[in-house]
Amino acid sequence: MSAEQTLLDPAAPLRATAFPSPVAWLWSRGAVRKALWLALLAVAWELYARRLANPLLVPTALDTGRALVASLRDGELPARVASSLELLALGYTGGVLLAAALTFLASATRVGADLLELLTSMFNPLPALALLPLALLWFGIGSGSLVFVLVHAVLWPVALNAHAGFSSVSPTLRMVGRNYGLRGPLLALRILLPAATPHLLTGLKVGWAFAWRTLIAAELVFGVSSGQGGIGWFIYEKKSLLEMPQVFAGLIAVVLIGLAVETGIFRPLEARTVGRWGMRAPS
Amino acid sequence: MTALAAPAATAPLLDVVDVTLQHRAGGRRVVATDRVGFRVAEGERVALLGPSGCGKSTLLKAVAGFLRPAGGRITLRGSEVVGPGPDRVVVFQEFDQLLPWKTVEENVVFALTTARGLRRAEALAIAYDHLRRVNLSRFAHAYPHELSGGMKQRAAIARCLALKPEIVLMDEPFGALDALTRERMQDELLHLWQEARFTLLFVTHDIGEALRVGSRVVLLSEHPGRVRADLRVGEGPLAVLGATAEAHVRDLLFDGVQDWTI
Repeated sequence: MSAEQTLLDPAAPLRATAFPSPVAWLWSRGAVRKALWLALLAVAWELYARRLANPLLVPTALDTGRALVASLRDGELPARVASSLELLALGYTGGVLLAAALTFLASATRVGADLLELLTSMFNPLPALALLPLALLWFGIGSGSLVFVLVHAVLWPVALNAHAGFSSVSPTLRMVGRNYGLRGPLLALRILLPAATPHLLTGLKVGWAFAWRTLIAAELVFGVSSGQGGIGWFIYEKKSLLEMPQVFAGLIAVVLIGLAVETGIFRPLEARTVGRWGMRAPS
Repeated sequence: MTALAAPAATAPLLDVVDVTLQHRAGGRRVVATDRVGFRVAEGERVALLGPSGCGKSTLLKAVAGFLRPAGGRITLRGSEVVGPGPDRVVVFQEFDQLLPWKTVEENVVFALTTARGLRRAEALAIAYDHLRRVNLSRFAHAYPHELSGGMKQRAAIARCLALKPEIVLMDEPFGALDALTRERMQDELLHLWQEARFTLLFVTHDIGEALRVGSRVVLLSEHPGRVRADLRVGEGPLAVLGATAEAHVRDLLFDGVQDWTI
């Protein structure tokens, strides 16, 4: 009898869903769980570094945190980050524009498609950094070489994905567009471009990841002789000065920027486009 | 059924004259249809019925203007079909015919603004009206991936009818639906026809569907497709629909063909 009453009580299940316990609510958030892991790792790092007691090899988490705050405050790290991001924006834009031109050529003509397929199969597996010595010879030491290498890092994955995206638009969708009298550039703009969005986003994401890694690595390689370096140069310089907390702080900054771009730009962009449209992004 | 009777024969709206269609497969030319001819009058519902491989879908694409016939000609109101256009709007079988990046309503609006050059406000009013007719008002702001298969096809039909084409071309639009939904969609299509009296060319391989949807049935044989028979539903052997009529159509379709060769 009493069991039946609780079953029939309409307020009971409602109350349970309306007011979950705060702990359960927090635990249900992925970000909270991950933050907990992060804190745990930081504590483990701190304990290990203290036991090791060799700040030249592993500075403590607290020292690194202090170094990070100090570098941010005195404006050195922000200036380096800004310098890196500026180069990145230049190389990224250049790479994407070139990729757009190549993809347009490839979509318009068969010769263009052949060229794109040949070039991407040749250059996509070639690590951008391998071109750095050549770039230094051609463009000298400075931002020119870095931009060249960045363009190479971005161009091929973006072009490859964009081309794949345009070629994989379903014949039905193309026919729907043509049925409404769309042809040529208008068909490309109104039907093919949005239909290829999952591939395009993947290309932009992969291109960004390649570019960011390439840039940091390139700055490390010849940051030594460069006048105003970026964040890679910051890391290299601090290591030369044996300021290990700053080295760690630089690495953390690299990680944080990567995370920020991924979660602050690409993930919302995906959620608002392919996520909402139910279009699966190719992996 | 009297309400669904075919209208009196008038000058043909669509005239398909001796159309031969070919396509290449593995470097070889395959004849899809061989000198096929039929006419569709205004307000008629013509079902193009044949087994798979008879070229009926290819023929529909040629009428839509996506393919050029290797021989013969297709005219709409006397002028030759040379390319796709919004006077012949296709409803495909594939669910992905709706633009996935637009809501149901925006799909209809896009068609109206693009193909008919309407202003957005006008297009919205027409879209609203046609979505109401197919019972999708509540889902106007849903994205295609949130709809069931039947709802997607209803949205595609609404988008097509909103354009008020001269002729509606349907390529097995209910082929990917379950049997129950398919029957309901056939009824709904007939309801829509009673409201708007559009001209319909409906491709199917299902005898029952052809007899149910069509006011006329054009039978195509396979490999290559040729017109076997052109029957008026509700007259002669198809006066009374049911098992006998279906058996009659089946005999006509596979006349002289041994079972094991099919």
